[in-house]
This record gives sequence, C-alpha cells and structure tokens, in this order.
Amino acid sequence: MKSIVASLVVNGEPREFLAAPGTTLLNLLRSQADLLGTRRGCEQGGCGACTVLVDGTAKLACLIPVECIEGAAVLTVEGLGAPDALHPLQQAFLDAYATQCGFCAPGMLMALKALLDADPAPDRAAVASAISGNVCRCTGYEAIIEAALLAADRLRPPVAAE
Amino acid sequence: MLSAVELPASAPAAVALLASAGDGAALMAGGTLVMPALLHGDQATRRLIVLAKAGLGGIELRAGSATIGAGVTFARLAAQPGLAVLRPALASIGSPTLRNMATVGGNLFAPQPYGDFAACLVALDATAAVLSPAGERSLALERLLQEGIGRQEIVTAVRFALPDPARWTYLKAMRRQLNSAAIVTVAAHLPLAGGVVQGARIALGGVAPTVVRARAAEAVLEGQALTGAVIARAAEAALHDIDPADDAYASAWYRRRVLPVHLRRALAGLTGDAS
Repeated sequence: MKSIVASLVVNGEPREFLAAPGTTLLNLLRSQADLLGTRRGCEQGGCGACTVLVDGTAKLACLIPVECIEGAAVLTVEGLGAPDALHPLQQAFLDAYATQCGFCAPGMLMALKALLDADPAPDRAAVASAISGNVCRCTGYEAIIEAALLAADRLRPPVAAE
Repeated sequence: MLSAVELPASAPAAVALLASAGDGAALMAGGTLVMPALLHGDQATRRLIVLAKAGLGGIELRAGSATIGAGVTFARLAAQPGLAVLRPALASIGSPTLRNMATVGGNLFAPQPYGDFAACLVALDATAAVLSPAGERSLALERLLQEGIGRQEIVTAVRFALPDPARWTYLKAMRRQLNSAAIVTVAAHLPLAGGVVQGARIALGGVAPTVVRARAAEAVLEGQALTGAVIARAAEAALHDIDPADDAYASAWYRRRVLPVHLRRALAGLTGDAS
C-alpha cells in the first residue's frame, strides 16, 4: 500500500510524516512524532483523552485521519508548556491537586485551553461543559474545575486600580 | 485497513467518486460515527470519501427559513445568532469537543438513542437536499429517517422554516446533565391559530428504532386549546407512538414509564403553566 505524506505544523514546528492511508492523528503523534502526552483512551470519541487543538479548535485526535487536516497547526500538551515553564493551566492543575493518575490530564488541559481562549472568564458551568467530553476516573472532576477557574483568574490581566 | 482517504472538492465530485467507488467505500463527514466503527471492527471499508472539503459548509438564514449545509458542525450552528432557538438542543448533543467535529448531515444517520438534531428537524418539518448522479431531489426528513437514501446519494443540505421560539420546545432526559445519549428526547412545534393548536409536530428520540413522530399525541392536541388536561391526555396517547428498547442508558420499561412525564413537562413550557 502506498504511503501518504502528511504535512502538519506540530507545536509550532513544520513537520512531514510518511504514513499509511487513514492513519489517525493520534497514531501519528504517538508513533511517529514521539509525542506521548496525547493519550490513547477509548478510540471511540467517548473519553476525551486524545483531545488536541487543530487550528485552535479542540478535537479528538483518535477520530481524525491525517489526510483531513493536511497543513493544519496541531497543538498538543507538549506544546502547551514545558517542564520548566508550565502553562498557567498546568500550574493550576498542580496547585489545585487536579491530577491523580494523570491519564486524562493532557486531554483535560487541551479542552480547557480551548475554553479559556474563547472565554477568558468562564463560570463553573462553562468549565463543566468544556470538560464534559473528558472522562476522569480519579478526581471526581471537582479539583479539575477548581484548577480551571484558578488558571482563568491567574490569566486575566489585573484590573487597574482607580 | 484503509487503502485511501479521499477529499472531493465539491458535492458533485463526491457523488461521482461514490458512484465509481463500488463496495468498500464509506462516506464520512465529521468522523464521530464512522471512525469509531472503523477503529472497532468495521473490516469492510477500504476507502473513505470525506466530505469535509466538498463545499457543504454553508449556512443561509433568509426570510424566516434556514438552509444548513450537511457539513456544518454543531459548534458552528450554535454560534449563529439567528438560530438561538435551537441552542438548547445543540447543547444537549455530545460535548463541546465532539460538537466541533459532528455535523448536521452525519446526525441524520446516527443510530438511536443518538440523533437528537434529527429529531428537531422532524419536528420542524425539514426537508433534505439529496444529490445523486441523476441530479438533486428533495426528501422530507421524516421519510429519510425511515427509508434512508440510495447507495449513490449524499445529503447536501437540510432546509426548514424557523419556528416561533414561543411555539417551540425541546427537552432531553439524560443519565447525566451533559454529554449523554437520550433516555427520551422531545422536540415539538405547536403553532396556534385562533387559540387552538394547528399543525402540531412532535418528534421523539430514544424511544424507537428511529426518531418517530408522536402522531397519536399530535391528534389529541390538534384543534384544542393547550390546557393542562389536554396536554396530559396527549402525553398518555404518545405511548401508542413508541417502541422502546433496552440499552446501556435505560430499559424499555423505564423509557415507557417516563415518556409521558417528559412529554408533559416539555409541552407545559408552551402553555406558561407548570404541571
């Protein structure tokens, strides 16, 4: 079977991959780009563990054949922050104890990144809605919601004093 | 295992490709139904014909009517100021991430207990534009859901008249408040003329092999003032319209038990008094 060339901008870097036709973005990221932060969960679109941003929009990497997003900019959790320079969402997850086993965290972070990009001051209901497609079996979600609200607070520019 | 993923650049090109592809080709829009099947057991599909670039992303709102391209995602639809009346329904489907992918056209082929937007379209008396190598035809949504479309056809758009928000109601009973399939979905359009119901359309999801019209309930309402007593009779009559099944979300027994309750609550919102 003839391979295809997939051109993507992954975490800011233009990359080209040789792949079998119909290779999912999830498989490409994990097997060829060596980016293991994007998790393989249910592969049915039901768990959200593989959530990444495609051209700024949160999508499920397990359901996307790479041919469909030729040339797109893909942001994974590795591009969100670095170990020595965490994104405010990642720092808030640490501070608010929003990770336990950590399996769902990358998908949660990317879904929340999309939320905060669109709505810098979400209320609790908006946060719950944003992660309603992300399954977490450890935390009971409360700590994750708290962390998202904390990150939103920290990301908002301070209001100038009168 | 796929041997090709193709992205035709227009609807006619997609139809031509589908006609020449033969067995082993599948159509895909947002991928939220086709991809899970491919990843979990569908061995027959060798070629994917993806409609993402086929120019099916148009949204036209004009003179009280809407024409929505089959490739429009629920996220885009929900962002339309002119379609605010449908926002509660859209918000009840999947998660925001899923709604960034799932399309209007794909929802027409979602197996029950999914397909809540299709239920809305039936209640709105929508039609689908269906394209084949022979040309375009218009097909009532209700018929499309019962009969399907031909092997060489694709749905390119759906059309409906925008309802008066005061005469439209949508209620979905779910296991969770967010991102869950239907136990019972009610979508209803109850226009009034001279104080009585005229042209009632009630579509139900989650309670039959396909989305169904609640014709027995509609018959009770027709020509009547929308009182609590009439609504209660219609809600009970709807039990004649359903053929529920057991699944992971609810048992058939439970669906039968709660349908009249949810239908009554949905319609009560249209009288102004709670029941």
